[in-house]
Amino acid sequence: MTNDWTDIKNSDCILVPGANPAENHPASMAWVNEARDKRGAKLIVVDPRFTRTAATADLYVPLRSGTDIVFLGGLMNYAIQNKLYNEEYVKYYTNALTLVNTDFEGPADLDGLFSGYDAEKRAYDTTTWQYQTEKQTVTVTETDPDTGEEVTVEKEVSVIKQATSLDDPNCVFAHLKKHYARFTPEVVEQVCGTPKDKFLQVAETFCATGAVDKSGTIMYAMGQTQHTVGTQNVRSMAMLQLLLGNIGIPGGGVNALRGESNVQGSTDMALLFHILPGYLGTPRDVDVDFAAYSRRFDTTSYWVNGPRFFTSLMKAWYGDAATKDNDYAYDYVPKITGNYSWITLFEAMYGGNIKGMVCMGQNPAVGGPNARFERKAMENLEWLVVMDLFETETASFWKGPAVQPKDIKTEVFLLPAADALEKAGSIVTSGRRSQWRPQIAAPPGEAKYDIWILTRLANALKDVYAPSSDSKDSPIIDLVWDYGDEPDVELVAREVNGYALEDVKDSSDKVLVNKGELIATFGTIASAADPGTIACGNWLFGGYFYPTDDGTGAVMPAVKRRGQKDPSPYGFYPYWGFTWPANRRIIYNRASARPDGTPWSEDKKVIWWDGDAGKWTGYDVPDFSATKAPDAKADPAKTGLGAQAGTDPFIMQSDGKGWLFAPVKLNEGPFPEHYEPLESPIENPISSVQNNPVIKLWDTDRGEDVGDNVGTADQFPIICSTYRVCEHWQAGAMSRTLPWLAECQPDMFLEIGEELAQEKGINNGDQVVVSSARGRIQMVAVVTKRWRPFTVDGKKVHQVGMPWHFGWQGVATGEVANDLTAHVGDGNTMIPEYKVFLVDVKKA
Amino acid sequence: MNMGIALRRPPIAPAAVVLGALMLLGFVVALIRYASGLGAISNLNDNYGWGLWISFDLLCGVALASGAFVTTSIVVLFGGERYRPLIRPAILTGFLGYLMVILALLVDLGRPERIWYLIIFWNHHSVMFEVGWCVMLYTFVLALEFSPLVFTRLGLQPPHRLIHAFIVPLAVAGATLSTLHQSSLGSLYTILPDQLDKIWYTPLLPLMFWLTAVAVGPAMVILESTISSRVFRRGLELDLLGGLARWIPFILAAYILVKFGDLAGSGELDLLVDWNLESGLFWLEVMGFAFLPMVLFSLPAVRQSNAWLLFSALLVISGVILSRFAVSLIAIGRPEFAASYVPHPLEFAVTIGIIAWGVAVFWFAARYLPLFVKHTHSPAGEQA
Amino acid sequence: MAKMAILFDAFRCTGCRGCQVACKQWNDLPAEETRNTGSYQNPPRVSADTWLVMQFREVDNGDDGLAWAFGRHACMHCVHPACVSACPVGALYKTDEGPVLYHNDRCIGCRYCMLACPFEIPTFQWNEGLFEGAEIKKCTFCIDRLSAGMEPACVHTCPSGALMFGERDELISVAEARIQEHPERYIDHVYGKDEAGGTSLLYISPVPFQELGLPELGTEPIQEKSEDIMTKATPAVLVTMLVGLSGIYWVVKRRQEMMGKKTGARGR
Ligand SMILES: Nc1nc2c(c(=O)[nH]1)N[C@H]1C(S)=C(S)[C@@H](COP(=O)(O)OP(=O)(O)OC[C@H]3O[C@@H](n4cnc5c(=O)[nH]c(N)nc54)[C@H](O)[C@@H]3O)O[C@H]1N2
Ligand SMILES: Nc1nc2c(c(=O)[nH]1)N[C@H]1C(S)=C(S)[C@@H](COP(=O)(O)OP(=O)(O)OC[C@H]3O[C@@H](n4cnc5c(=O)[nH]c(N)nc54)[C@H](O)[C@@H]3O)O[C@H]1N2
Ligand code: SF4
Ligand code: SF4
Ligand code: SF4
Ligand code: SF4
Ligand code: SF4
Ligand SMILES: [Mo]
Repeated sequence: MTNDWTDIKNSDCILVPGANPAENHPASMAWVNEARDKRGAKLIVVDPRFTRTAATADLYVPLRSGTDIVFLGGLMNYAIQNKLYNEEYVKYYTNALTLVNTDFEGPADLDGLFSGYDAEKRAYDTTTWQYQTEKQTVTVTETDPDTGEEVTVEKEVSVIKQATSLDDPNCVFAHLKKHYARFTPEVVEQVCGTPKDKFLQVAETFCATGAVDKSGTIMYAMGQTQHTVGTQNVRSMAMLQLLLGNIGIPGGGVNALRGESNVQGSTDMALLFHILPGYLGTPRDVDVDFAAYSRRFDTTSYWVNGPRFFTSLMKAWYGDAATKDNDYAYDYVPKITGNYSWITLFEAMYGGNIKGMVCMGQNPAVGGPNARFERKAMENLEWLVVMDLFETETASFWKGPAVQPKDIKTEVFLLPAADALEKAGSIVTSGRRSQWRPQIAAPPGEAKYDIWILTRLANALKDVYAPSSDSKDSPIIDLVWDYGDEPDVELVAREVNGYALEDVKDSSDKVLVNKGELIATFGTIASAADPGTIACGNWLFGGYFYPTDDGTGAVMPAVKRRGQKDPSPYGFYPYWGFTWPANRRIIYNRASARPDGTPWSEDKKVIWWDGDAGKWTGYDVPDFSATKAPDAKADPAKTGLGAQAGTDPFIMQSDGKGWLFAPVKLNEGPFPEHYEPLESPIENPISSVQNNPVIKLWDTDRGEDVGDNVGTADQFPIICSTYRVCEHWQAGAMSRTLPWLAECQPDMFLEIGEELAQEKGINNGDQVVVSSARGRIQMVAVVTKRWRPFTVDGKKVHQVGMPWHFGWQGVATGEVANDLTAHVGDGNTMIPEYKVFLVDVKKA
Repeated sequence: MNMGIALRRPPIAPAAVVLGALMLLGFVVALIRYASGLGAISNLNDNYGWGLWISFDLLCGVALASGAFVTTSIVVLFGGERYRPLIRPAILTGFLGYLMVILALLVDLGRPERIWYLIIFWNHHSVMFEVGWCVMLYTFVLALEFSPLVFTRLGLQPPHRLIHAFIVPLAVAGATLSTLHQSSLGSLYTILPDQLDKIWYTPLLPLMFWLTAVAVGPAMVILESTISSRVFRRGLELDLLGGLARWIPFILAAYILVKFGDLAGSGELDLLVDWNLESGLFWLEVMGFAFLPMVLFSLPAVRQSNAWLLFSALLVISGVILSRFAVSLIAIGRPEFAASYVPHPLEFAVTIGIIAWGVAVFWFAARYLPLFVKHTHSPAGEQA
Repeated sequence: MAKMAILFDAFRCTGCRGCQVACKQWNDLPAEETRNTGSYQNPPRVSADTWLVMQFREVDNGDDGLAWAFGRHACMHCVHPACVSACPVGALYKTDEGPVLYHNDRCIGCRYCMLACPFEIPTFQWNEGLFEGAEIKKCTFCIDRLSAGMEPACVHTCPSGALMFGERDELISVAEARIQEHPERYIDHVYGKDEAGGTSLLYISPVPFQELGLPELGTEPIQEKSEDIMTKATPAVLVTMLVGLSGIYWVVKRRQEMMGKKTGARGR
């Protein structure tokens, strides 16, 4: 989340496209309701299905799954056509005025593609997408690496070219306008199946938050992400919010309602293959040394400090073994050579290329896409370790449907784990706020907390490799694992926070932190003369364990605070826990003030420029150089934030701007373009490009039952979506084992609209069989008014939906929804397309 | 006695075997209920907390046992001396009837062992409280009224005389208590203004229950006399029964008037033409089981015919059963729950078992107690 | 203590059933074995093991769209509780603070309370035999929490602010104020303010209250008629009967005696 949960109450309009917070983030509804009560805010739900959130909304609008780009694009078009966007914000804070390479062409010209597509590689050459730049010669002061002396050198740098008016045909805004002009309300109706008048109601209501004294927030989750166009869906929301000037202000933002209770924390801690803790990119094989790796970081944004953060991370991992001379053990870090996401791994496992798997707190036998295929893949494992609270379907995959236990050679180890309440530690909420939780109960039986198990594992590995003198074993031998034999989680927290390995000095030799003490902020790493004097497990959490006032005068690790003092009128509660980065509640909050540093409105002010004091002041920690004046000019001679102007709020971006146009980082284009889901009942009405042109398609065993077959509308005419219900948790181990929850939702079910049910002769409560190109499963039919057919491109299409919480273990059991889903992922993140696939439904 | 004939009869009559089996079945089912709860033998549920036993065993049972107080009142209080021969069997039937009701309650009550708590914990707002007390007291009155037979049989004169001295107060008490609880069984349902169907709900339910109980009293005497005259092969007091029956039409007429008057009074006559289950039941009861027997009983020819008397009596009895079921089971509750209660076979087993016990005791009493007096006035036998 | 009550705001309720589960948890009630019969609602109704059930109803408002109405079904803690009036032994009783409570050691298990309650609330332990001792079960208003100064478990758990605990009078004002502030949201009525003489569960709702599973009730207490019968008619009938019957007997007897004298018939 750019903002925090509590901040929702400051909103004037809450748009919920593709999430169901009433069921999946129930506590958020308190803030939604507060906004509605106190501010008269409107709650808008855009969802293919009438959910429990829709039930409480002011406006519910249906749309066919997989068409949000058109819907959100329609909103952008509406804002642009009706000039509802915040023009000053757009001009200064986004890259709207930035000039794009004149060779750039978009889907409006190229029938659904951007310039540079290589059909064979299914990838883009992004040259034409780049900004126009001009060369400038600047004088820079540098430290001579050999002598250590300061020298002045002339350097040629490229500076991004800006247009003077939004009407410049080569500026981002002109491209944007042209791109989205196609998404008229009529096209929205045609593609999304959303009645035009309903769409216009949303457009009118939400785009009204473009006014400077209004803010609108977007609460989104898996309805947006679990698509082959998931990333571009999310981008669409961010772009809309940039246009409306809704980012950086209270009650605004793009708010990802995160999933598992600590999924934010685990992402921050890099439980993904492509990042290291603190969102440092994982070294690739092409990053041959630390210098090459360092070049991956922007030099004109705050990321200029990336290599420093990496350095202190290496010191945390390898301690004395990480030295300046050995590139801080850069070579120890495994380099990635490709994509190691979930789907890829299971394809590899199916191919017999993975021997063993450790499943710590996850249940792929139920939760993975094309789960039957993934379970089949697991049969190729020699061993499988499951660390879980329960004997999950994964731990018992050898007892699954249509499996003969005797045929399975995999050795399965089940390690009982302690749950969240049975161990101390910090978790991070969607609002980036980390909170410490003490242990409140002893783990039952032989269950152990995860760090205990990992410590045993780490030590055992170290013991195995200890005698080795082979340099390839050094990463394990040299690994610092000093949390004690009964590992002390506070020691881990200390390392995550960062502490001084020796006295930390700045460039003028002033001691910033004494040896052994915690750093108060990641700024220390940025300003230390030698970041290698600090061990920091995650720069973003710099200061999170630092002794801090809780607002009452009591001092404790920041993350443990429960201070309820709130100097802001917004519910920031800065003394409660610790919100990364730097205990900041709203990121990009520089944008809450006008370019000149005065607030956009009294009602929405967060930080503002105090000219007399010469610094930014306000209710939140400024997400900006605290003393950089609004009129500060960008200095191309400088690196880091110095290269950005006093009006560039997006300090993590290379140009300090919010990107309406993304010249880099996105595989399928700088603007979101609509493509149909992998399986769709219609042909793309927008262009002749049916699917996202950059998604990776496997063809494992096409034609065989268990493989990645693609279903077609003639066989499988009905759209199906999977989602959650309030009463169950995820793959179900934690809720289906709980009788009180099992009794609430005892059976796997299909929600099917009355019209389709009638067509199929299905009565409420009947058993039905749902089949896709991957499999077939049986469940109870819940015939409902809450699903209604869509009219799409002149055709009537039905959509049905089902929860994905069921499996064969536990008190409440049912067949696995994911036996139907496809093994295909988004073009950037590879998140599986759980939200749309084609099925057929029959009475059992 | 002819020994030959006696020997040729089987030691135990087949009827007795069946009766014994039913008694045993009822007993066993009751044991299961005590061990495992009502759910084990009944389909009673939270939508239908009261089922067959309340509707039949209690509501119908009490109503059908009204012959005792009606006959006693006629004979003792209203000077209907000539009906005196009917009094003993009527009291026995009534007494047994109430014992059967209590037996049924001992099965149906959630906490049968606490049935006596009614005596120590009072809530005088509760209709149930009144029903409980009246049933208790009236059963006691019946027991007293019945006791002379036993004393006579045992040859105990002093207690017999003692009771005899109180025969009038007992009759007054019996009639009063009966009126109270016969009516208050109807009052039980006055707490359901919203759940009971409008055509059946009325604050006059107590009056209706009382009227029908009074009407069914003589009808039950007719039925019981007819049966026992056949079983025990004795003459039927046709003239007496015919005489009793003369009064029934007046009561039924009053009942019909009250029913229509009540609907008219509350402006709900239009419900009569709703033609749903509830109004159907209403018409069936009023026309088939009140108006028709009213007409029949007022015909001298009917009153002089054993078969017609019996038929007409059965109509009245059916009417009472129907009205009790309608009020307590059919026209009650929310339509969406309607399907959730159909009596469990074992519920019938309990009801039938209790009846079997009643029949057995009656038969036993009839054999060993001076139940039936000669139709002729006999100075010795008349004072029961 | 003042009269306590709970306000249920159906506009805010998201049907999350947190309250339903919290009730079980606090009161340590076992789960029931249920089946999905085509609805989210489960267990199907309140029972001895389930004192609070959220009911789910889909309401098609035609062009106005769809409503999914979530109704709270649990004891209403009536101001004039029919169940209390019905209980022959006073096992159910109304406290001054509002809760309607139950002495399990008094109950005879007649289940008249179940019949009497217009909200179908009291339920019975059908599967407890003589030795376990079957009891009537229903929401206790979390009296144990209340007496410890806490709010009811269901209220405490409600994430969306749909439930509010407080003094009845105050909650009525809150409810009326909400309606006044947002007339577009609510039906202009506070259910429970007057229904059946008032209840301690107050409802405001955007959909007709029947869609929340609430019966249409008048303003007089359910037991008004039956209590009238008990307190007025019964004593009257009692006295009339005793006096009347004795009188009739006396008259009849006198006549018979006179006739007996005339005819010389025997008489005692
Ligand atoms: N009770 C409960 N809470 C949970 C979880 C749980 O399992 N149970 N899981 C947690 C986790 S890990 C996560 S990730 C979050 C997920 O939280 P959500 O994203 O809210 O969860 P879902 O129910 O999967 O999907 C949300 C909605 O997206 C809709 N949808 C489907 N396709 C589309 C589409 O194309 N466009 C739009 N606009 N909407 C679409 C679905 O109908 C559904 O209502 O929930 C978290 N919270
Ligand atoms: N069809 C379909 N499939 C989906 C989705 C969908 O929307 N549709 N959503 C996807 C999403 S968003 C997600 S996040 C994934 C989730 O998929 P999984 O992560 O596989 O699902 P969970 O059931 O949350 O698995 C977590 C496990 O961790 C265990 N656990 C809990 N606490 C601890 C602990 O402290 N230590 C250890 N060791 N174990 C613990 C739990 O018992 C549980 O078994 O599923 C995905 N799958
Ligand atoms: S499930 Fe847990 S984290 Fe989610 S809203 Fe409820 S209490 Fe909060
Ligand atoms: S709702 Fe029913 S059980 Fe609760 S107090 Fe009222 S009458 Fe009694
Ligand atoms: S069942 Fe118990 S609580 Fe209910 S009315 Fe009867 S005695 Fe009272
Ligand atoms: S007040 Fe307590 S007992 Fe009653 S429903 Fe709420 S949680 Fe359950
Ligand atoms: S906890 Fe609150 S929001 Fe959830 S179902 Fe209960 S009343 Fe409704
Ligand atoms: Mo998730």
